[in-house]
Amino acid sequence: MTLPFLASDAGAAGLGVALAVGVAFGWGLERAGLGNARRLAGQFFGTDFTVLKVLFSAIVTAMLGVFWLAQMGILDPARVYVPETWLLPQAVGGALFGVGMVAGGLCPGTSCVAAAAGRRDGLAVMGGMLAGILLFAAAFPLIDQLYEATPAGTLTFPDLLRVPPGTVVAAVVAMALGAFAGVEAFERRAALRPGGAS
Amino acid sequence: MSGRAPRAHRLLAIAAATLGALALVAGGAGATRQGVDVVALAREVEAEADHVTARELAAWIRDGREGLRIVDVRTPAEFADYAIPTAENLSLTALTRAAIRPDETVVLYSEGGAHAAQGWFLLRARGVKRVYFLREGLYEWLTQVMTPVLPDGASAADRAAFDSAAELSRYFGGVPRAGGGASVDGDASAALPGASAEGGSAAAVRRVRRRGC
Repeated sequence: MTLPFLASDAGAAGLGVALAVGVAFGWGLERAGLGNARRLAGQFFGTDFTVLKVLFSAIVTAMLGVFWLAQMGILDPARVYVPETWLLPQAVGGALFGVGMVAGGLCPGTSCVAAAAGRRDGLAVMGGMLAGILLFAAAFPLIDQLYEATPAGTLTFPDLLRVPPGTVVAAVVAMALGAFAGVEAFERRAALRPGGAS
Repeated sequence: MSGRAPRAHRLLAIAAATLGALALVAGGAGATRQGVDVVALAREVEAEADHVTARELAAWIRDGREGLRIVDVRTPAEFADYAIPTAENLSLTALTRAAIRPDETVVLYSEGGAHAAQGWFLLRARGVKRVYFLREGLYEWLTQVMTPVLPDGASAADRAAFDSAAELSRYFGGVPRAGGGASVDGDASAALPGASAEGGSAAAVRRVRRRGC
């Protein structure tokens, strides 16, 4: 759990904050329409770019927030947990995750959102996710070597590219704005085509 | 989509572009590292997770541990005089700028232990994860690895520990001793390569001891 604004021993108060942030996150996902499996699958087929827009917006918002709060001395970035990288197991897991996401149309977070909004496919995906967790735990002795393979430590772009963090922030913002403009132009053209997307 | 939405989008895009462009100007080197989680570091020190023993380090070198990087933070003259095998020499200032890959394990040592411990903090503050130091420095290496001693009247457990230490010591050309100073392998100065010369490890032990570490 990462609670960069709270004391290290926040305990129950920390869990309360986590619950509040989680509910807000779920509400945001539902409001953005990401509880809808068709919309999520549409991203992979190039017919709906809501996922790209919502998630890239979230990345840029959080990144600018963390960067500027850190610059102002309000947030200590050293207390923001950076997950460690294991190249091979994460590539394998990512591929498996992608297949599941296209097939089910939901990811773990959005499946909870869809279930909370009363969609039965959300419940089905949550069931599959729990079954997958149990299967993983049961099969762990067989795959523990893969699980521990190719450790690369915590990687961040400023460290990897040896540039100041601000440069990476500016580059990601430019990428996001470029992607938004490109996707909107694509959607306008698609809408103009006979029988194109609405 | 209402007519106002694109306008709101444009304003948000302009705000993001402005904050991003300012970040380019503001983001000095190491800005994300400006905060050091001193509580976490203090816990590592209390948990004794900040150092390795000389014998652990010796075993790592012998076993060819992947990504092991040993850094001697003493002066170049002291380094040239005697150093732990495979070590490189970097000053503390150079250490703060050294490129360290995430898969590397850094072990720092100095004459005693103070400078290496300070180097440990500098690297941890830089965000390097796998850093250790020799708590008693080169002195510990010389006494525990190069010239381990089995005291008189040692128990069977002591003797077993000494046997593995002696084996490790011989790998590095050291001289294990059993009891009142007699070398297990015969005369120390004869067995140690270059021991009679001022640059040998036996001489280095004497010098370090004289300084009262």
